[in-house]
Formats: sequence, structure tokens, C-alpha cells
Amino acid sequence: MINAATPLLDVRDLTVTINRDGRLVTALDKVSFFVNPGEVLGIVGESGAGKSITGAAIIDLLVPPLKRTGGTITLAGERLDQLSPKAMRGVRGGKIGFVFQDPMTSLNPVITIGQQLCDTIQAHLRLGGSLTKKRALDWLDRVGLPNPDVQFKRYPHQLSGGMRQRVVIALALCADPALVIADEPTTALDVSVQAHILELLRDLHRESNVSMMLITHDLGVIAKMADRVAVLYAGRVAEIGPAGELFNAPKHPYTRGLIRATPMPSATGEMRLDQIPGAMPGLGAVPPGCAFNPRCFRAEGDCRATIPPLYHEESSAFSCFHPLERVTA
Amino acid sequence: MSASDFLILNHVSKVYRRNQSLLKRLKKNESGGTKAVSDVSLTVRHGETMGLVGESGCGKSTLARLVSGLMAPTSGEISFPPNASGNKPRLQMIFQDPYSSLNGRWTIEDIIAEPIRVHKLRQGRAAIRARVDQLLVQVGLSAADAEKYPQEFSGGQRQRICIARALAGEPDFLVLDEPTSALDVSVQAQILNLLRDLQKNLHLTSLFITHNLSVVRIMADRIGVMYLGELVEEATSDELFHKPRHPYTRLLIDAAPDMDTSDRSLHPIAGELPNPAFPPSGCRFHTRCPFAQDICRNTSPPQKATESGGMFRCHFDLDLSNATVFPQAAQARTA
Repeated sequence: MINAATPLLDVRDLTVTINRDGRLVTALDKVSFFVNPGEVLGIVGESGAGKSITGAAIIDLLVPPLKRTGGTITLAGERLDQLSPKAMRGVRGGKIGFVFQDPMTSLNPVITIGQQLCDTIQAHLRLGGSLTKKRALDWLDRVGLPNPDVQFKRYPHQLSGGMRQRVVIALALCADPALVIADEPTTALDVSVQAHILELLRDLHRESNVSMMLITHDLGVIAKMADRVAVLYAGRVAEIGPAGELFNAPKHPYTRGLIRATPMPSATGEMRLDQIPGAMPGLGAVPPGCAFNPRCFRAEGDCRATIPPLYHEESSAFSCFHPLERVTA
Repeated sequence: MSASDFLILNHVSKVYRRNQSLLKRLKKNESGGTKAVSDVSLTVRHGETMGLVGESGCGKSTLARLVSGLMAPTSGEISFPPNASGNKPRLQMIFQDPYSSLNGRWTIEDIIAEPIRVHKLRQGRAAIRARVDQLLVQVGLSAADAEKYPQEFSGGQRQRICIARALAGEPDFLVLDEPTSALDVSVQAQILNLLRDLQKNLHLTSLFITHNLSVVRIMADRIGVMYLGELVEEATSDELFHKPRHPYTRLLIDAAPDMDTSDRSLHPIAGELPNPAFPPSGCRFHTRCPFAQDICRNTSPPQKATESGGMFRCHFDLDLSNATVFPQAAQARTA
């Protein structure tokens, strides 16, 4: 490993396949990355790139016909991929917290939010009744719900979308996990509420120094939150690097294409919009060689023949035979 | 009213009523119901793209439906002044979700040919088919796609089909309701560029509705900002971004994270969006506004015109051209 510190989460050659009428289709193709202690790793890509599958595969929540068929997942020295389903239940919500996209479907509508918090704390920390309740109230306060005593007895439908997402965040963090996986935590929310939730995630991250995997399609969110960023394309890692480097000097043509296709005002206030031709290949329709080659302006013969390996540099890695020069980007 | 006015909205309101008993309906009881659009006055000129932005529940989609005649306003009027030839303009809509807006049992040819047949724009099968092929090429698909069904296409391609269908009616006016919100970034850029080219080449007038400020900045000549059913500010695209007059506009611009990794500050708007069914008294934004004073809580602000032909609804003339110099901005955790 290039990094001197031992990574908290180390994922190597993670492969997920989907069984379609007896035909195996690869959804994630040898994805490798690591998350250092206290770090925020952003995972970015378009829909179908495999970002959510990556998150779900780590905590073994893949829905059949999706199946993990290869690779290793190591969390703080423990091989998660070899754990029994029962042991895995202790990891989910205990060592790894999860924040889902839609706060309405990730909360139980017929149980009060206080009870849901208590259940989670009880299951993972085994505190006494009064201590559990105290901790639950404490968490409602920490995630910024006014009057925790009142909120404790309320049901999810009585809260607004932003409030619900705060409860989901409390649920993910209440058992002191080592890692939080947040899958599109702000996509269902309005811009003004999104900034609140991001700020809350950042504050809690700073207080508890928990590691975070932030999965999103929004480059703006990544730019503000992530220390390092992994760009996924068609189930493969296109590029990984520190956020500043990746945004200012991307090496993979897809990364640059994605940045330039996002409508954002530049420093001068001028708007530009460069499209990437074509669309991401669907599952099972990934072209031979580099998955991005049909849409890439730098593609040559070797890109169509062989899958480019991940070339490692000091702190970053990219999967491209003809990377962009640092200066031109 | 000038000759260049294409569409005029005059104090338009729309109230969604809750289910009422017969007796209450007979009494014509005006109380109750959600005022989704409240007293909006707006003029769209010939050949321009008018953008409308706002968060969910601000009434932007309701306004789109009112303009396209899918719903009648509760009060106020919407008029298209007749053009030189005295014809009413033709209108087409493009919707957000390209999955639910195409009939899965029709071929692409049937879908695109329908407006041509309805408006009797071409006669004879061959002429209609030729026009369909031409439209498909125009939106970046191929003539061979006419035989296929919608489910054979990706989201971006479906949205192209929706655009082709809208253009088939040879519209003078396009209403686009979040046309790229369901699409991925790289595909969104393709569709936005396509729409921009079409608007330029076909001299279309359009109403472009979105929640994404960056998208509207690229697409629109003038932009209206809506909050809880009210139009709070309207200005040219350039002016709105460089010199916003309403605090909400300023806060909304700052709230969207940009891609600058050197400045990682976030700028949330204090508080949460109130329930549109029970909007706050006075200025509707006062519960979240960092400049709010007593007058804002009691009196609804007047509509003020700017030198450059825009308008804003605020009691004060604030200089908001520089971002984030707000009093009590630290109160952001109340949401």
C-alpha cells in the first residue's frame, strides 16, 4: 500500500455479479480502494456506475440477483467478507453506520423515532434502559432536533424531510461506528436543507473523527465534503485522488468530462457546458478494453483492446493509457 | 403592454382546495385550501427564455400547468396577445420524467406523429413519416429509431424523443418542467446543449422551470425566483446572479455547493421551508431571512421595480452583490 497509515477500510478487487437467466453479468469489476481513519472518501459517478452497489456490498446488503463473487473487504484488520451472516448483523449499525438516500423509507413508519434509536443503541451497546434513553435523547439533540423530549415520541411522518434525515444520521452514528457509509444523503432534499445536512455531517465527523464514505452523483457535494475522491465508471474505478488534485488537475478523461459537463459558474462567472458524447454502457454491455473508450476523445487502439490497469502515483491512481497532462487540465 | 409581449400573467393565483362538503361548496367558502400560486404577474417576451427557479412546494410546476392550460387559475388571467397574423400561438410541454411521459405501447413513430396528425400539419402517411424522420435526426437520434418502442431507449434518449414530440407540433412556445432533473450530468449537458441549439435555430419562446440555479443560468435570458407561491424576484440572468435584490435569491445562490475545493464553507439557509398550506404572515420569507425586522412579520412587502426592468418583493433596498455578509448567519442550526 502506498499510504503509510494503515487504512481503516481496505477493499480489494471487489467484484459483484448479477445472474440474469443463468448468464453472469459483472456489475462491479475488481474495485479497489481504501479509507483512512478519520477520512472522508467521496465516491462519485453517474447512475449505473456501481456506487450504491459498492456501499451495499461492503455491509453485505446486496439484493439478489446481485451477488459478491470476489475480492476482500477488511475493516480494522477484520475480514468482513468472511463473516457469518449473524456476525455481519453486529457490524451493520454497530461498526458501520449507514445513511440511505430516502429518509422516509429508511425509518419504520409505525414506531416512534425515539424507540427506533433506543432499539439500535440497545442492540449494539447493551446499556441499561435509562442510559439508553439518555443516549437517544442526547443524539436527537446532537443532530439538531429542537425539544428532544417532544421529538422522542413522534413518528417519522410528523417530521419534515430534513428532520427525518437528521434522525437517520443519528441512527447511523448512535452506536459509535468506526465508519459511516452515506449513500446520496442529500439527494432527496432541497438545496437549502441540503446545506444543513452536509454541515451536520461535517460537524459530527469532526467531533467523533469517524471515517466516512460519501456516495453521491453531485460533484459540488464531493468538492465541499471529501478528502479523497474515487470516480467510478461502469463498475470500475476510473480515478482516485485527493479532492483538490482531482478537481483541478484530473488525469482520467472521464473525470474531466464529468467536471466540465456539470453546469457550474467558473471563477469568472462565465458558464460553460461541455457534453460527453454517448451514454454510460448498461450492465452487460460494457465494451472491451477501457469501458470509457467509445466516448473518449483520447481513445486509441490499445484502449479498445485491453482494460487499463490502475496506475498508482504518490497519492492518486488512475486507470487510463493516455492520461491527461497535469498542465492541460 | 408592448408589441413584443408574448405571454402575460396578470395577478394569477391558484388555490388547491381540500375536499369540502357540499354545503361548504355551495356557500362558496373562500377559506381553506393551499394557495400554490399567489398573485404572480409576469411577462414573457417574443423569442426569450424565461426561467423559473424555486425549491419544492414553491408553485413552479403549478404555474407551468396554468400557463399550458392544463388547469385554470383560481383568479387572475393568463393571456397570449395575438401576433401579427392574428393566430393564437401553439404550445407544447416537455415534462420531467421521460419514463412516465411516453406511452410504452406506442412506437416512436406513433408518438411523434400524434401532434402532426392532431394539428393536421402534414397530409398523407409518407409525408408524416418523412417529418418524423426529420425530427428524429434533428434531436440527435436516427430515422431507424422510429420503429422501436420507448423501453428500448435510455433516459437521455427518451428525453430526446419527448423533445421531438414537442417540436412535431411546430410550437411557438415551449413549457419545460424540469426537463433534465431525472438525467445524469453528462446526459443533462447533452440535452441542455440540444435545447439551446433548438431554441436558437427555431426562434422559440419558452418557459424553463427547474430547481437548479446553474441550469437556469445557462438556459434563460430572464429568471424569476419563486418562494411559497410568490414570485419574489425577477431579473435578467446576468443581473440576478451579480446583483440579486431579494435575500432569498442571494441565499439560494450561495446554498448550492460549487466545485471550488479551496473554499469548503457551506451556506445553509436558516430554518426550513414552511408548509405551503400555511405560509407565514407578512413577507413569506421572514422566518428564514437574516434581515427580517418587525415590518416583515406584519406587512406583506410591495412589488418594487428595478431600473433594468426587473422586480423584487422586499421592504428594503439591500446591496447583496457580495456573498455572505449576513448578520446572525450563525443561527443555521435551527432547521
